[in-house]
Amino acid sequence: MTRTRSTRTRITVAFAAAALIALTGCGANAGATTAAGDDFPKKGKSIDLIVAFSSGGAVDTAARLVQPILEKELGTNVEVINKPGAGGQIGYTQLTSAEPDGYTIGATGSPSVVVSPLDPARGAKYTRASFQPLGRQVIDPAVIAVQPDSPYKTLKELLDAAKAQPKSMTASTTGLQTGEHFALAQIQETTGAEFAPVHFSEGASQATTAFLGKHVDILVANVSDVNDLTKQGKARVLGVMTAERSPALPDVPTFKESGYEVEAGTARGYSAPAGLPDAVAKKLEAAIQKAIEDPAVAQKMKDLGLQTSYLSGKEYETFWAGQEEDFKKVLPMVMKKD
Amino acid sequence: MDILNDLLGGFAAAMTWQNLLFAFVGCLLGTVIGVLPGIGPVAGVALLIPLTMNLDATGAIIMLCAIFYGTAYGGTITSVLLNTPGEAASAITTIDGYAMTKIGRAGAALTIAAVGSFVGGTIATLGLVAAAKPLGELGLLVGPPEFFALMVVGISLLVALAGKSMVKALISGALGLLISMVGIDPVAGAPRFTFGMDRLLDGVSFVAVIVGVFGLSEILSYRKDPHAATVHAPGLRSLLPSRTEWQRSAPAMARGTGIGFGLGLIPGMTGSVSSLLAYGAEKKFSRHRNELGKGAVEGVAGPETANNAHANAALIPLFTLGIPASPTIAVLMGAFLQQGLTPGPTLFTENSEIAWAIIASLFIGNLLLLLLNVPLVGLWTSILRVPASILTALILLFMVIGAYTINFSVFDVFVMIGFGLLGLALRHLDIPLAPMVLTLVLGPLMERSLRESLEISQGDFGIFVNRPISMVLIGIGVLIIFSPLLKLRKPKALNEDPET
Amino acid sequence: MTTESVMTKPGRAARVAPSVLVGIGAFVAVGVYVLVSSLGLGLWTSLGPGPGLFPFAMGGVLVSMSVIWLVQELRRPSETSDGVDRGLVIAVVASLAIVAAVMDLLGFQLSMFLFLMYHLKVRGRRTWISSLIIALAGSVGAFYAFNYGLNVALPVSALSPLNLIGL
Repeated sequence: MTRTRSTRTRITVAFAAAALIALTGCGANAGATTAAGDDFPKKGKSIDLIVAFSSGGAVDTAARLVQPILEKELGTNVEVINKPGAGGQIGYTQLTSAEPDGYTIGATGSPSVVVSPLDPARGAKYTRASFQPLGRQVIDPAVIAVQPDSPYKTLKELLDAAKAQPKSMTASTTGLQTGEHFALAQIQETTGAEFAPVHFSEGASQATTAFLGKHVDILVANVSDVNDLTKQGKARVLGVMTAERSPALPDVPTFKESGYEVEAGTARGYSAPAGLPDAVAKKLEAAIQKAIEDPAVAQKMKDLGLQTSYLSGKEYETFWAGQEEDFKKVLPMVMKKD
Repeated sequence: MDILNDLLGGFAAAMTWQNLLFAFVGCLLGTVIGVLPGIGPVAGVALLIPLTMNLDATGAIIMLCAIFYGTAYGGTITSVLLNTPGEAASAITTIDGYAMTKIGRAGAALTIAAVGSFVGGTIATLGLVAAAKPLGELGLLVGPPEFFALMVVGISLLVALAGKSMVKALISGALGLLISMVGIDPVAGAPRFTFGMDRLLDGVSFVAVIVGVFGLSEILSYRKDPHAATVHAPGLRSLLPSRTEWQRSAPAMARGTGIGFGLGLIPGMTGSVSSLLAYGAEKKFSRHRNELGKGAVEGVAGPETANNAHANAALIPLFTLGIPASPTIAVLMGAFLQQGLTPGPTLFTENSEIAWAIIASLFIGNLLLLLLNVPLVGLWTSILRVPASILTALILLFMVIGAYTINFSVFDVFVMIGFGLLGLALRHLDIPLAPMVLTLVLGPLMERSLRESLEISQGDFGIFVNRPISMVLIGIGVLIIFSPLLKLRKPKALNEDPET
Repeated sequence: MTTESVMTKPGRAARVAPSVLVGIGAFVAVGVYVLVSSLGLGLWTSLGPGPGLFPFAMGGVLVSMSVIWLVQELRRPSETSDGVDRGLVIAVVASLAIVAAVMDLLGFQLSMFLFLMYHLKVRGRRTWISSLIIALAGSVGAFYAFNYGLNVALPVSALSPLNLIGL
């Protein structure tokens, strides 16, 4: 804009129009606006599925598996959007502050979604009531794994060593007050073994990468995270925190078998911001159930090491309420003290 | 041949008609931004980010990359035809480019520049293909402390090279980091510097900040030029260069590619340095060096090839190390992050399909740019005849739409206005803007890796010097910061470059 | 010590420009604010580095660099760059602020039409016909292109009479 030039208005108009038309890209037609959600979802209006962890982790993988089925069921685009950070809190904040119109849904993982509003230090803008659960997909049990060249061959050896020298070994989590952090706290509570937690608050893929690079000694993760690593011999899983052995890791003893009463894991499902119109909630719930129970999706989850265990929106909510009670007791262990 | 397979897979993904369209539109828009003197590449790319947010990650990044290297070519057109560089990196091209216009060889100059850009861009992208795998495999060696150290190197290079005063560059960098910290703490979840506003929990939108600081402040600091004259773009008699012009250009293009590629790899070097050095190389080595300045084709071929080779080579540190080499690339990196992709060593392990599709699209985009630009030169020059007042109004229109559509809220429009004023103040105080953009984008990553490192070491800051890789990197960073004491010279061009 | 360094160079007419002093003052103020509030956020907690650690360091950089800059200025004041075109700044900023303030009320099309007319006709002194064409294309045209082409919803008016006629 350094010079003034002769008036060539038409060109400007043509340029403005051309730029706008060019930007149009793949033209989709937006429908007319009506209220109350009977026509949900409107054709051409896409639904955002917010994943509060970075791409590559189990939450993200599961969301991307159900996405095509959801698209088919709902007849519109479903876009997976990664909003990682603060152990899920950043994504959950965005989810719960979205309009409850069905066009924004999210993947939710508990305990983090249940617990993060309970700690005042986090200043979360949402409570459990800000979510409208739509359906639970899986429970992913927590595991503890060491480097393949680690001297510890059994869970007992590892925990005894950590007991003898507290905080001598670093252990990964996917963020403060996430399932892994709680698992570590529960281990410390029941066995006295203390690890130094390192919080990879963007999700499991960062934690796993750091473990593979040997930047942390211990990987505390979920079954689905270590499934491939074990097969490739990149991690030695020493214990699963469930009542029974995981079908994906038949050779790995449970904590109970080794004599420790520790059960922990992450439950994952899908939720919307609270206040959905009933018609919309019904449609979404039905589509999500269809997608979760789709045989192909369930098979792929199994390949990841996960047993699909669907719960409807109502049951999922009750499940959360139960978790909230359980975790309130252990919460002080994972809160800062000063 | 693993790499070949990956690359072919990338081509398959990039060749869908949507992705081709995105690359095409990106080239088109990039060229327009390059041609328009009022809006630089940084603000231009930032302005167009909101338009890509509805696309899938691959399409969005393909389009933004195309915009990015489109700008590198667009600036050439005005340099050659009007003696006015559309952006800083093409400034040196005015000398011989405009001289060629005066002797009626404008068409040939533009064709040579387009071919040179294509050659430079394509070879640099080949370099990216070759570097991607080995550097990607180093990825596992890069833990949080190394990652932090890498970013320290990147930022210290930019701080040392930007502007005239390191003190001011550091102020700019600290401001960027502080702005990036507004919102929910990415580790512990505590809200920081939100002043009780719920809107700020998700942070200040970096698109609004950059459009304000770079774009709006540029318009605000515009001063009337009393000597402005009406310029008539010349007609193009022939677009085809003669046989001798081709022969003379070839070695210049080769030299330009080498220079641009080498300098593009170094964070903090801008395209202007590459094109200046390439011109210098022609002055020294060209067989027709005495004709330079009088319309020698080497004076166009060398710098323009270097400019585009530089732009494409600068993507190498971004893709493989996660370090943005220039402010424009930092904006591009911001777009990656918004799409949920973290550029760097983990990109090829976690999102390898997307990464290769983008790389393949770089080849396609460079070809599109060549096919698009030569026949459309007439259209680009007609944009330049649009009066400044109309352009200003339209650019402001796009800024408002761009800022609004980030979150569909006028809040971000106000953020943009506020940062436009801040940008104006910083320009007035002679504080460089580049370090701010870089730290704005890198801030959250830096903080996270710092805190992860300190958790690993359980509070011991020694972790940054106890590990060999991070020790070397931190050492380099310190050396760069104290380089003025060592009296190392920095290229003069960097002082005047508006991109820094 | 600061006044001293000015005194020791007598005969120098140059003084630190007021705008530079204001700038430095503002940076110091921001830096101090950040330092204080990051202490409140906690530099270190029982769980490791706290949320205030990194901002604290940056606040420190901001304050110390501003002080060094002040010293440099007192020793050798920098030349101030040319002033800004105040009329332009006020016109652009005010018109942008107004358009942002009324956009939700009047809708994108009407507010942007008036905004463009102001910049084209009033400030740019274009002819009526060219101003009208461009302003319409940039407001109504852009609205439809974005809404129906890109699926990007620009705001419609909150006032029902305007809303009913599609603005």
